[in-house]
Amino acid sequence: MSIAATSRPAPIAWLVAPAALLFVLFFVLPFGVMVLMSVYSGNPATNPNAVATTRHYERFLVDSAGIYHEALWSTLRIGLITTAIALLIGYPLAHWMARMQSRLGHALLLMAVIAPMLTGIVVRTFAWMTILQDKGVINTLLIQWGLADKPLALMYNEFGTVVALVHIYVPFMVLTLAGVIGRIDERLEQAARSLGAGRARAFIEVTLPLSLPGILAGSLLVFALSISAYVTPSLMGGTSVLTLPMLIAQQVGTSFNPNFAGALGVALLSVSLVIVIAYNRILARLAGDQGMA
Amino acid sequence: MSARPNPTPFDAGRAAYLALNGALIAFLLAPIAIVFVFAVNPTPFISFPPVGVSGRWFAKFFASPEFMNALWLSLWIAGCVLLLSVVIGGACALAIARGNLPGRAFLTAFFMSPLMLPAILTGLALFQSFLLSGIGRPVWGLVFAHTLVAVPYVIRTTLAVLHNFDRRIEEAAAILGASPVRVFFEVTLPLIRPGVFAGGVFAFIVSFDQFPVSLFLVVPRGETLPVVLFNYMKFDLDGAIAAASVVSILLALAVVVALEKLIGLKTYVKL
Repeated sequence: MSIAATSRPAPIAWLVAPAALLFVLFFVLPFGVMVLMSVYSGNPATNPNAVATTRHYERFLVDSAGIYHEALWSTLRIGLITTAIALLIGYPLAHWMARMQSRLGHALLLMAVIAPMLTGIVVRTFAWMTILQDKGVINTLLIQWGLADKPLALMYNEFGTVVALVHIYVPFMVLTLAGVIGRIDERLEQAARSLGAGRARAFIEVTLPLSLPGILAGSLLVFALSISAYVTPSLMGGTSVLTLPMLIAQQVGTSFNPNFAGALGVALLSVSLVIVIAYNRILARLAGDQGMA
Repeated sequence: MSARPNPTPFDAGRAAYLALNGALIAFLLAPIAIVFVFAVNPTPFISFPPVGVSGRWFAKFFASPEFMNALWLSLWIAGCVLLLSVVIGGACALAIARGNLPGRAFLTAFFMSPLMLPAILTGLALFQSFLLSGIGRPVWGLVFAHTLVAVPYVIRTTLAVLHNFDRRIEEAAAILGASPVRVFFEVTLPLIRPGVFAGGVFAFIVSFDQFPVSLFLVVPRGETLPVVLFNYMKFDLDGAIAAASVVSILLALAVVVALEKLIGLKTYVKL
């Protein structure tokens, strides 16, 4: 049936038009405008004195105040730590989900993983503030049980930021990993075990290497999401955490310098694009493997 | 493991595995559960342990014009986004799956990219475009901005359904004499409806909970609920936020149940 139909688009292909229009007007063009703004001294539409300039990029690169490079580094560091912890936490859950025999158990587990995803970022960050603040759940219990004399600094620092970010993005890791682990033939591990490997060795030498594409895809996804987080670092980090998205919001909100915000945006976008392209390559390869199987 | 013929009476490794996973599930769900505790705890500030049960925070939330205006604006925008993204995303998925378009893998990745690129940059780029074109920050701009980040979910769920159903059903209808238009309305559309609908419910939630895309696009006194909550939380951390959170969590729970009933969560999860 597909032999005659491969050559040219069918009439139904026109249905892509509304989405294409939406994406051109509200996605492609705006990102073009962001790049344009980043190389102008002002708003070129309203300010006749606005000229093309590289000064916003120079400001970021020279960094005379010493905050932009630190913000970039904080963003990447928080992203890396969040990704590593999300992987450590997400893998056992994904493995459990992929190997769950009972349909009901699988559905319940899936619900438990997806339910947090359907709760807004602001709400989940609020939940972590109630847990980690000085009078929060953990500090109250620690003091009550005599394990601490004064509240531990669990929040308004990088620690609290990472904890909340891990909670927010670990479901993405679990879902990506579960898909990949589920496709690994369980009999391979059983074969290794019947040949004398212990459970740990069978896992480390068979299942773990085969799930590497999932580990990579899930990590790239979580990293991409956590370096662009704004709500969580600004509420959980207090004044001691400054990330690139927070810097961008500052430039728009308080400094009203949309041009410099554009340059910072281009910097964040370049990092993200590299990750997105790598992620899509891995997904395409996974889909290809699945097609051959 | 359970398929092994002679399970040992106590398997320490298995027990540790289950305990670890139980702890991780608790880590995932406990923070959401704790919000419910603070929503009914009557103390003036968030404090633990709770001292009682009261409805004062719900009363404060539902009586505050600031919260209520934001809630209605968010619901109204989410409703518009639901309708728009169902039509635009459903049509787009049909075109990708059935249209013999060149570069389908690229197109799919392109239409999914708003989910991968920093949403705060999408907000920034739209803010700058609105600034450059001098249109201000209209509500319809916010609606289309949300639609942009909601459409990928509809495309994904609809593509999943299209991928699963047997194309020969459509061909059979055509062979039996149905016109292409009739095949579309009487065969294709009913078959993809669960996927489109599930995507629409996701679109609603994505818009209702949307923060980063809204941040630069809302106007003072015209802020959506997540933005109002965020601004409130910067200065005040009381039970009103917990009550507002409970309202949106219950909304999300209703959605999960509806999704499971409609289509089964598995279809959505397939990336």
